[in-house]
Amino acid sequence: MELVYSETRDRQEAAELPDRELALRARGGDSVAFEALVTRKTPAVVSVARRIVGDGEDARDVAQLVFLRVWEQLARYDEKFSFNTWLYRITTNLSIDFLRSTRSREKAHGATLHLVRLREEMTGAQTTHALESGELARLFEMVSSRLTGKQKAVFVLKEMEDCDTKEIARILSCGESTVRNHLFNARRILRRELARICPGLLERRRS
Amino acid sequence: MSVRCARARARDRVEDYLEGTLPAADVRDFREHLASCDDCRDCVVSREPSLLFTRVGRDEVSAEDVARVLAGVRTGIALREAERKLGRSRSGGRRRIAAIASAAAVAAMTLLLPGTGRLPARSAATAVAPPVETAAPGFAPAARGSSRTFPADATIYDWNPGAGVEEPRVVWIVDRSLDI
Repeated sequence: MELVYSETRDRQEAAELPDRELALRARGGDSVAFEALVTRKTPAVVSVARRIVGDGEDARDVAQLVFLRVWEQLARYDEKFSFNTWLYRITTNLSIDFLRSTRSREKAHGATLHLVRLREEMTGAQTTHALESGELARLFEMVSSRLTGKQKAVFVLKEMEDCDTKEIARILSCGESTVRNHLFNARRILRRELARICPGLLERRRS
Repeated sequence: MSVRCARARARDRVEDYLEGTLPAADVRDFREHLASCDDCRDCVVSREPSLLFTRVGRDEVSAEDVARVLAGVRTGIALREAERKLGRSRSGGRRRIAAIASAAAVAAMTLLLPGTGRLPARSAATAVAPPVETAAPGFAPAARGSSRTFPADATIYDWNPGAGVEEPRVVWIVDRSLDI
C-alpha cells in the first residue's frame, strides 16, 4: 500500500524549514507549518513576555494571544522583513497591553509585598557572582516594576535578547532616537531602584 | 587573544556600548566576554548597574509549557473559526449562542486536559469537514468501531494526540441542523 499522506513526515519536514518559509506556508493554510512555528518560537515569546509582564503564568497567556494574533494577521506579514521582528512586535505590543491591564497592576502591587524579604536576600549576597540567574530574574522583576511598558520592552530586547537599536526601532515602530531615550531612562530608573533595594550589593561591588 | 587582551578590549568598549555606538559585531564579542568573565562584568556593572541584568538568561520553557501554549492556541483558533462560520450562517441567535456555548465548554475541557492536538484547518475548504461516518481509530474506546452519520453541514474539529502520547482525543462537532 502506498503512503500518500503522513502528518508525522510533514512535521519533520516543517521542523527543518526556516521561519520565513514556515510563515509563508502557514499563510497559505498549512496548519502543520503554523504549529511548527508555534513550537519553535514559544520559548522566545514566553521569555520576552515574562520579562515584560513579570509572571510566568501570565507570559504563557500572552504567548497564546500572540500566536492567535499571528494566525489572524498572517496575511499582513511582509516577507521582506524578518519574521522575528514581526513576532517580537506582536509580543511586545500584547505584553505592554497586558501590563497596562488592571489585573497586571494588581499583581504588581501584590509583588511589592515581597520586597522586604527580597531586599534582605539581596543584601545578604556578597557579590553579583553569588546571585544565581533565578535570583537575578526575581530582582529584575522587582526593580523593573517602575519602568513603563515601552522602557521595559526596550531594555529587555536590548540587554536580554541582544537586539540592536535599529531592530528594536522596527519592532516598536518608533525612531532609533526614541529607543535610545527609552534605554537611557530605563537604565537610570533601574540604577536608582537597585541602589534603593540592595545598596549593599552595589557598594561591595565598587569596593 | 589572551585573557588580559580580552579584558582590556572589553573595558575599552564599555562607554561605546553604553552609548550604543559599538558596531553590532563588537557588541556580540563584548557580551560574550562579559558572560564568561566575572571581573569584567563587575567592572562594567560598577559603571552601569543595570547591566547586571544582562546575565539573566532566557527562562527554561519546558516541552510541557510549549504543549500548553499550543493547545491554547488550537482552542482559540477553533473558537474563532467557529464564531466566524456561525456568524456567517443563517441560523438564529439562539442556535448560535448554544453552539458557541458548547464550543466554549469543549474548549474549557481541552484546556483542562494536558492535551496536545490538531488545529482545525485554516482554509474554509478544509475547515468544514465532509460528513464523517465512523469514529477514527484512536478515538475514545466507547466510540471505536461504532458508526454514526452526521449531517452534511456538521463541522468537525479534531484534537488528536501526537503519536505515542498518552492523552485523550477530543472531537468537537458543531451540528447546525440542531435547533436547540
